[in-house]
Amino acid sequence: MVSYNILEYLVIIKSIHSMFNEIFRNMWRKKLRSMLTIFGISIGILAFTVMGSLALRFNKMIQGGKKYVTGQITLAPKGTNFGMGGAGGTLPVDTLNKISKVDGVEAVAAGIEMPMEEPNLDQATVSMGPAPTIEGMDLSSKFKNRNWETLAMKEGRMIEASDPVNSVTIGYTISTDKGLKTGDAMKIRGQDFKVLGIVDKTMTGPDTYIFMPLSVARDLYIESNPFLKSLKEQAANAQEISDSALAKLPAETRAQIEQARTFKVEDISTGAAVSWKDGYDSDQVAQRIKDQFKDEVIVMSPKALGEMIDKASAVFNSVILGSAILALIVGGFSIINTMVMSITERTKEIGIKKAIGASSRSIAREYTIEAGIIGLIGGLIGIGLGSLMIVIINNAVANKSGAIFELSPVFLAIVLAFSFGLGMTAGLLPAWRASKLRVVEALRQL
Amino acid sequence: MTNPIISAQHLKKEYRMSKDNIVHALNDVSVNIYPGDFSAIIGPSGCGKSTLMHILGLLDKPDAGNLTIEDKDVMKLSESEAVKFRANRIGFIFQGFNLLPSLTALENVILAGKYGGLSSSQRRIKAKQLLEMIGLGDRINHKPNELSGGQQQRVSIARALINNPTIILADEPTGELDSNTSMEIIDLLKKLNRDNQQTFVLVTHNLEVADQCRTIIKLKDGHNDN
Repeated sequence: MVSYNILEYLVIIKSIHSMFNEIFRNMWRKKLRSMLTIFGISIGILAFTVMGSLALRFNKMIQGGKKYVTGQITLAPKGTNFGMGGAGGTLPVDTLNKISKVDGVEAVAAGIEMPMEEPNLDQATVSMGPAPTIEGMDLSSKFKNRNWETLAMKEGRMIEASDPVNSVTIGYTISTDKGLKTGDAMKIRGQDFKVLGIVDKTMTGPDTYIFMPLSVARDLYIESNPFLKSLKEQAANAQEISDSALAKLPAETRAQIEQARTFKVEDISTGAAVSWKDGYDSDQVAQRIKDQFKDEVIVMSPKALGEMIDKASAVFNSVILGSAILALIVGGFSIINTMVMSITERTKEIGIKKAIGASSRSIAREYTIEAGIIGLIGGLIGIGLGSLMIVIINNAVANKSGAIFELSPVFLAIVLAFSFGLGMTAGLLPAWRASKLRVVEALRQL
Repeated sequence: MTNPIISAQHLKKEYRMSKDNIVHALNDVSVNIYPGDFSAIIGPSGCGKSTLMHILGLLDKPDAGNLTIEDKDVMKLSESEAVKFRANRIGFIFQGFNLLPSLTALENVILAGKYGGLSSSQRRIKAKQLLEMIGLGDRINHKPNELSGGQQQRVSIARALINNPTIILADEPTGELDSNTSMEIIDLLKKLNRDNQQTFVLVTHNLEVADQCRTIIKLKDGHNDN
């Protein structure tokens, strides 16, 4: 049985120390070359760190979105881009009421989603994150997202049906960007609102949301859209005409007025969410809605949306992977080059080591570790510079739209291990060559 | 009569320099070296001295012939077995000292101990003892380029001794030293031979050095020169 006392440990530490000492001295002998190699790896690792942190942030955002959309069946108006209610498409309330009676449907909640501010192209600002968005919620609906029943609050509370109509709850990024606290007043599209609460950081959609009652959001939406605004005004005017006056009008005019009267603000929703009853399969329920209402609404099942999101994030991740591979190739070859040159210069040393008893394996190990350490140092510098860059950029944009990079210690540790592994892998071939040198020939070298 | 510690019979070694130029470095050379001997292999340059020493030290393999060391047929050893055998039984001293320039005197000696399988504390203690014994106790943390030729050769002697080898092979150990220093080195080697009963084989073309040896093996043009 082997037992070590403290002294023995000290000696072991000393011998490890002397091995690293030799490696550093060897690197120091060719300062410029070592520095250039390390610099090459640093650049690769820097790119990897920055791109990776961007991907982490993005993926978190995407995964948050995925969690949300897979917790409900999502409905969008026909003829629109999914989700953003573009092109003025709306979901008629009658259709939504009918959908709520489909077998398996528990509740349907209409919603309005629109940008908080009109884009001002004359004073375009560069926004790095998602834009602030108004979320009009049907507070009286029984609808609950299965994956995200409630949002954790940083302070205050979520708006409820009994609150005054000018109440809002805002996302974390909105509160930090605008310096808002619970109880503060804020102006949205010219109207005054009062902040009832701030949602805790989610790293995804809700961070840039302003939650308000559906009816209020609907008014803002109609107000922002000249076509809808005029429809609403015509309807109001048409309502003012008494039935007796209407009867006297020519048939064509009467038909137009009667048509205008049919306009209901409830028909204006940019999207809707459907929850399913316990024991039902969400995809089957979605299919059932699709079968009956495919001409009226776009139905997105949780599964279909989840897959769509996965595809989008796969594309993004492959870009990241590409940058990592590039770092690997550039850094790897520069290490191979450096090590081959070092070994050529040190042929005689390798001969000496072998003559005094070094095995091929120990020679290979020495050079592999040396290459690994070059990778490690390059990695440390790259990670350091990358992190610095991320912190600076994150701070610079924090007041506009929140962090765009996610600086994760676990990820940084992985990158560091990767750079060490990269160095070792790149060192394998030169180290193998070194270990195969024939002693007598190596000793003859000057 | 005791068996030779090294017995080399009919060794042949040729180097093919180009298609038509084959150098017969060794052409039927036989050598017997006995335990505790202090012997010299001498001959003009190009006679095959160094090649013979490399073969005796298992750094190279002959094309033909037999070689036994301590009654072991070392020709049959695999490469890794040969490495182990060499690390533990044979110490080398080279003409150009062949110290690693990036390591201190102490580290150079320790390294050989590491390859020989000594534990980290053993090799550190022993390396210090050896350097003190050969008179370099105050120079252990100096790099080779901070030491004189004689001092460097002493470091390489300490390095050859650390694994307690039974055989020490020295290739022109005084080749790069002035005559005074040369004699100091030879005296040191003789003292070690006397004190530790280790077998020394010196390759040299210096007849003054050869005169100090008990046995002399002469080579000429790749043959034994009797």
